[in-house]
Amino acid sequence: MSGFLVRRILQMLLALLGVSIVVFALMHLVPGDPVRVALGTRFDQDLYDALRERVGLDKPLIQQYFSWLGSAITGDLGVSFRNGQPVTTLIMERLPATITLALAALFIALVVALPAGIISAVRSGTGLDYTVSAASQVGISMPDFWAGVMYILLFSLTLGWLPSSGFAPFGDGIVEWARHLILPALTIGLISGSIITRFVRSAVLEALNQDYVLTARAKGLSEWQVVRRHVLPNAWIPIVTVVGLQLGFLLGGVVVTEVIFAWPGLGRLALTAVKDRDFTVLQGAVLYIAFMFLAINLIVDIIYARLDPRVRVS
Amino acid sequence: MRKARTRWRIAILILVLALAAAACSEGESVDVGDETTAAPAETTEAPAETTEAPAETTEAPAETTEAPAAANILIAAQGSEPDQLDPHMTSAYASFQVLENVYDTLVQPAADLSMEPALAESWVISDDNLTWTFTLRDGVKFHNGRDLVADDVVYSFERIIAEGLNGWRFGSVESVTAPDDSTVVITLTRPSPNLLVSIAGFKGMAIIPKEIVDDGSIGTSPVGTGPFRFVSQSPDEGIVLEKNPDYWRASEGLPKLDGIRFVQIPDAGTKLTALRTGEVHWIDAVPPQDIESLSGEAGVTVGRVPGGDYHYFALNQNRTPFDDVRVRQAIAHAINREEITEAAQFGAATANQTAIPASNAAWYYSYAPFGSGDTATAQGLLDDAGVSGLTIDFLVTSDFPETVTQAQVIAAELAAVGVTVEITDVDFSTWLDMEANGEFDAFMLSWIGNIDPDDFYYAQHHSEGGFNFQGYSNSEVDSLLDAGRVETDQAARKALYDQAAQIIVDEASYIYLYNPDNINAWRDEVGGYMTRGDNAIRFEETFLQ
Amino acid sequence: MSDHLDDRLAAKPVSRTRETLQTLMANKLAVAGLIALTILVFVGIFGETIAPYGINEIDIPNRLTGPSGTHWFGTDDLGRDVFSRVIVAARVSLQVGFIAVGFALVVGVPIGLVAGYYRGGIDSFLMRMMDVLFSFPAILLAIAILAVLGPGVGNAMIAIGLVYTPIFARITRGSVLVVSEEVYVRAARSIGAGNRRIIARHILPNVMAPIIVQTTLSLAFAILSEAALSFLGLGVQPPNPAWGRMLAEGRNFFQQAPWMGIFPGLAILVTVMAFNFVGDGLRDALDPKQKSVIESRGQSV
Repeated sequence: MSGFLVRRILQMLLALLGVSIVVFALMHLVPGDPVRVALGTRFDQDLYDALRERVGLDKPLIQQYFSWLGSAITGDLGVSFRNGQPVTTLIMERLPATITLALAALFIALVVALPAGIISAVRSGTGLDYTVSAASQVGISMPDFWAGVMYILLFSLTLGWLPSSGFAPFGDGIVEWARHLILPALTIGLISGSIITRFVRSAVLEALNQDYVLTARAKGLSEWQVVRRHVLPNAWIPIVTVVGLQLGFLLGGVVVTEVIFAWPGLGRLALTAVKDRDFTVLQGAVLYIAFMFLAINLIVDIIYARLDPRVRVS
Repeated sequence: MRKARTRWRIAILILVLALAAAACSEGESVDVGDETTAAPAETTEAPAETTEAPAETTEAPAETTEAPAAANILIAAQGSEPDQLDPHMTSAYASFQVLENVYDTLVQPAADLSMEPALAESWVISDDNLTWTFTLRDGVKFHNGRDLVADDVVYSFERIIAEGLNGWRFGSVESVTAPDDSTVVITLTRPSPNLLVSIAGFKGMAIIPKEIVDDGSIGTSPVGTGPFRFVSQSPDEGIVLEKNPDYWRASEGLPKLDGIRFVQIPDAGTKLTALRTGEVHWIDAVPPQDIESLSGEAGVTVGRVPGGDYHYFALNQNRTPFDDVRVRQAIAHAINREEITEAAQFGAATANQTAIPASNAAWYYSYAPFGSGDTATAQGLLDDAGVSGLTIDFLVTSDFPETVTQAQVIAAELAAVGVTVEITDVDFSTWLDMEANGEFDAFMLSWIGNIDPDDFYYAQHHSEGGFNFQGYSNSEVDSLLDAGRVETDQAARKALYDQAAQIIVDEASYIYLYNPDNINAWRDEVGGYMTRGDNAIRFEETFLQ
Repeated sequence: MSDHLDDRLAAKPVSRTRETLQTLMANKLAVAGLIALTILVFVGIFGETIAPYGINEIDIPNRLTGPSGTHWFGTDDLGRDVFSRVIVAARVSLQVGFIAVGFALVVGVPIGLVAGYYRGGIDSFLMRMMDVLFSFPAILLAIAILAVLGPGVGNAMIAIGLVYTPIFARITRGSVLVVSEEVYVRAARSIGAGNRRIIARHILPNVMAPIIVQTTLSLAFAILSEAALSFLGLGVQPPNPAWGRMLAEGRNFFQQAPWMGIFPGLAILVTVMAFNFVGDGLRDALDPKQKSVIESRGQSV
């Protein structure tokens, strides 16, 4: 197990290194740079050159990369070109909102997906199954920006129940915190839930077709007992996997939903960084997002190994 | 952010300058001291003062009961995020919305866009128009408690010249000195009728204390002399400002608010909803299609004034066939400005074939040589030029979505004369790069907030102009624009610019489209706020009732 | 002799094809999906002929009018006929789906085949590269690629395609690992068939099932990705209509003219459902035990 872990962690570090190279290369290939953006439409070659020199963009690319990498290894991700703030600070101050939204959305997704998926698998082929299936298709087909706007118009503008934008830290009181959280969490939670529903259904369906389930039924166990004792334990692996993947994506920030709800998460930070060509912030944000993704994958694989010892061998 | 955004302040400066220049040209020194400006200032303040009473009554209970400060804190929603808070280094309008309330300039644009005293309470111009002597107001304190002295002005200007984005505004300035703590002397290399607009037209020319540059905090925690002090900035709370009790207008009861919280809501629809539900008190813009319905809505006020902005597009004269003036004129004839205006702005704008809006009475020049969707004339000009099957690669940016809308309307209009428009929609960073590199047949954007004609025309159309990306070059226009820069007689100066404008329009260096209105909206409980012609967002007289 | 044996070994998937089709045709939802897709493709090809109005016929005085006999789906903010634009947009939206996923297939499947078949160093190298792409935030990757390549529907397809490439590489590799151990592959190897021939004749046909399923599902997600990119102003260039772009624009007029967004939204819904129905049907028919968990990736672009 520890060999497996060490190998996986090494692979993860390699992948992160690769990500940093890709970001670096991409950002220096794109037209526009942070100095150009800072200057606005007034273009003055001397001022441009002077500003580039000041932020170190005049150095050869390779040198820029290695000097960044050198600091990054010691935990210093540099400062924003845009406002001179440390990148780690910028990321850290957005973590509470990002994590809150990710967990709340995942919670909603699971609350919807587990019952819906299990019921539609157990009652597969019935009207109930088709209803769940159709609803999950709508959920998957619905772009998040469209869903978000509809919720805002309904729950904020028309009914006046919930605020349309912003994030209230938990310290401001649980009621305000929850009121701000509900709409964005609902927007992505239902979409995630729709996806997860499909996996729960197919995982449960598959488990239902196994011999031991037939045996259990033959023993005269009720349908729900069968599901609880024999089906669910065997359906966990694919469900855990897809849930882990979803969580990985959510923790990376959900760009569009954050824009709609003015949610101060990582997605907006990264989007603004792309738009302003704020290379260091983008580099830091993407590395963080990739790290979360890979780390959760790793955790999922470990859980996997716990649930199914055969995985360890491969 | 876009050129326009940085320009609006210039425009204001220019107006002030122009007024001062007009006065100077009489050969007298101008002392726009407290007495002189008192009259106009009071008229604008009068309504604010009458409403002061209720404001004070609400304040009293707040203080006695220690009620949440939120009672008298304005929540203002911005559509984009300030990039940084160093006034000399930012070009983002969102940053200036905040900094407008934190910093002061030497003089400042009044509501009518004339230049009024601010940190300088008076100034004197020498007979040769080359030396301007400013006297600073007494008892002005920075938010860190230190007194403002003339050396701060010198330091600020020197910093702008040496490393700021707006150093070019000091093009005619030879030196800035501080003979004593309350006197600043600016010497010029040539008469500059628009000096005040140039050096104090917007908060990019803010007077800052040296210490926040030395300790590196200027970008994140600004310290100014303005009505509000910077408190904090965070992604959760936005930018929090609090009342500056030592404000130099404190004796007038200003500012009236205890504080301001700027929140950033990037989506225009969400921002509008937040205003309608009362989550925020004020928003910086209203989508044009929503103005009509919002204007009729109870509880909300829409502030709308004709602005100094203009929207235009330009054809790349370094490429054939756009170097042929007939081709440019054909396009100028073929488009229908009224249709474009209505399509993009839903009537909240005025079509115009020149740059300067009618609301800028001092410099407006009524001139409209082109037809409106005049395809016959356009076709004739294209035939004369021997051009057919023309395709225009039209550069726009979704970051300013009206450019995308307008380009689609123009594409449909030009199809009538056999011209194909291929739209290239890129993000603004890329747009800037492509514009600077000349990678376009046509580009479209807007300029915001100009006041003085020099700002409307020089950088854009002078062959040496810093924004002349379309490659226009006409020696007659160059000499007219050069002459306008140093002409101190108002009437003569206007005549120069009228001539220049006529040639620029005739030759379609820019093809002008319209002047949009400036629009903000706020809850009815907000008082003492007005939408300004220069788009400056000032809350010093604002209160909540 | 060896060729003969080789061919017989390869024959297995062929008979499976007919069986698969029969199973698929028995699935009512899959059939409905196929019919819907056929209609969509037809509309995509003949859209401009069917459309009652030109897609760029601007008519400002009649902007934002609701659905009526003259304009079935109403008009948009520039007075253009929404019905015509939805019809014509079918082509671009389907193209985005097909070409983006085609790109991912053409790049991802060979990578997966090579990695899974040869294993060892090349496997590690290729799969770590895929990990890099996969762990990269998808929408940011697409945005950055678009910024590098320049705007335009072609580049948007490449960007979306690149985002989906690692999914295909992973799925292919996973299946290849299993198939490589099968008796018929070992047999082919033992009779001295070349690596290329083994991959082409024995491996590829037997790993097609998960790839086909993943393809149909990715098609649906790719169309949604175009919508997300359009929301951020990076999709199809105006004035050409695409469902995603129309939906994104319609959002700003939700209160004045909900039809601007609802109809292109319904078009996306129908298309995505059709692809998903067919994909589900294929999954049941081809490989009922398929666990392509990776498909969940698509949503976040």
